[in-house]
Amino acid sequence: MVSTTSTRRWQLVFWLGLLGFLGWDWAASPPIDLRMEPPLIAAGSGQEVSGGHCSMAK
Amino acid sequence: MKRFPLAALLAAFFVFLVMAVSVRQAVLLLVGIGMGAALAGARFGFTTGWRQLIEHKDPQGVTGQVLLLALASLAALPLLGQFPELHAALGPPSVSLLIGAFVFGLTMQIADGCGSGTLYKAGMGVPLNMGILPLFALGSFLGSVHLDRWLSLGQTEPVGFATAFGTGGALALTFGLLALTLLLVRAWVGPGRQWLARRWAWGAVALAVLATLNLLLAGQPWGVVYGFGLWGGKLAMALNLFDPTTNVFWSQPGNAQRITQTVLMDVTTITNIGILGGALWISARAGAQPVQPLAPRQWVVGLIAGFLLGYSSRLAFGCNVGAMVSGISTGSLHGWLWVPLAFAGSLIGVRVRRHYRF
Repeated sequence: MVSTTSTRRWQLVFWLGLLGFLGWDWAASPPIDLRMEPPLIAAGSGQEVSGGHCSMAK
Repeated sequence: MKRFPLAALLAAFFVFLVMAVSVRQAVLLLVGIGMGAALAGARFGFTTGWRQLIEHKDPQGVTGQVLLLALASLAALPLLGQFPELHAALGPPSVSLLIGAFVFGLTMQIADGCGSGTLYKAGMGVPLNMGILPLFALGSFLGSVHLDRWLSLGQTEPVGFATAFGTGGALALTFGLLALTLLLVRAWVGPGRQWLARRWAWGAVALAVLATLNLLLAGQPWGVVYGFGLWGGKLAMALNLFDPTTNVFWSQPGNAQRITQTVLMDVTTITNIGILGGALWISARAGAQPVQPLAPRQWVVGLIAGFLLGYSSRLAFGCNVGAMVSGISTGSLHGWLWVPLAFAGSLIGVRVRRHYRF
């Protein structure tokens, strides 16, 4: 069995990697224009949805 | 990590999203956390359910999945008919779908996790799934880069049951196909089996509710793979290895915009992070569990399978979540093509898994 200490070390590396990626992405990306915030609930908003989805061919 | 500080960190991330990104993304984070907690808490593993059916003729996991599909369809199809802003998960029937679904079904058995399974197990701290996640992202990105070439092998326009038969007709057809699935399962397992354990039932109900919330809030069904491809694309761009303007998929207006803005504005990224967080929260209750160590050869095979999971899921227009759960529940023919091909792949995958003694 892999010890719980070893598993925790792996977890720490994993989460630090993920947080590092998100932090880098946030710093490297253009600032968000909060005035263009999407509606909280898309259903009934009347606005076209523009999110990406894995079923899309384009 | 203890549950209270973890809950505080997740709450801080929620507040950050409200203040700096959007309220919608913050609420979608909560939906994702709920999904992660449901997947990990109920051990709702799509891969395990199929393997138990194949190897032990145990239908409980598949029955739970059919229940999830039925409940999610019952909510999604009428909502799609009511609100024109909402999108179904419509993938094109294509050669790439057939190949991709088969390879995905095969490799998910080796990697012991599909799209959602890899996420929640990585969140719970399973070493192989944590190692697979970056390769899943790389595979998903490369699959999207090559997608136009795969599509040139042959494709038709996406087929939506609701468009073809109306909401009532789509529901009737979906329930008819789900009933046929259960009849086939019954023929395979024979009489005298327990059909549904409590954990599969509550997991199916919770995931159906959360998938419906995802559809209502985001306007699109639950997905996993697109977010991974986006992460890979952003890293490739940062390393000057990729120019999205020269690629058919990533030069499309929507994709071109998303790859230049922060991933925190992407719907699937947020729910993916939520699933990781929700699963970590569940594992914090149980404490870190000792796991069976893997031999170097098993690590290599598992990581290759993880890369192929990402690549094939793009060819198949989704994994078990984007193609199966979201495709079928929103009335897409591609979801119904995905299932038998992925199951055929799993029939081989369980044997490969045994060969390498996972």
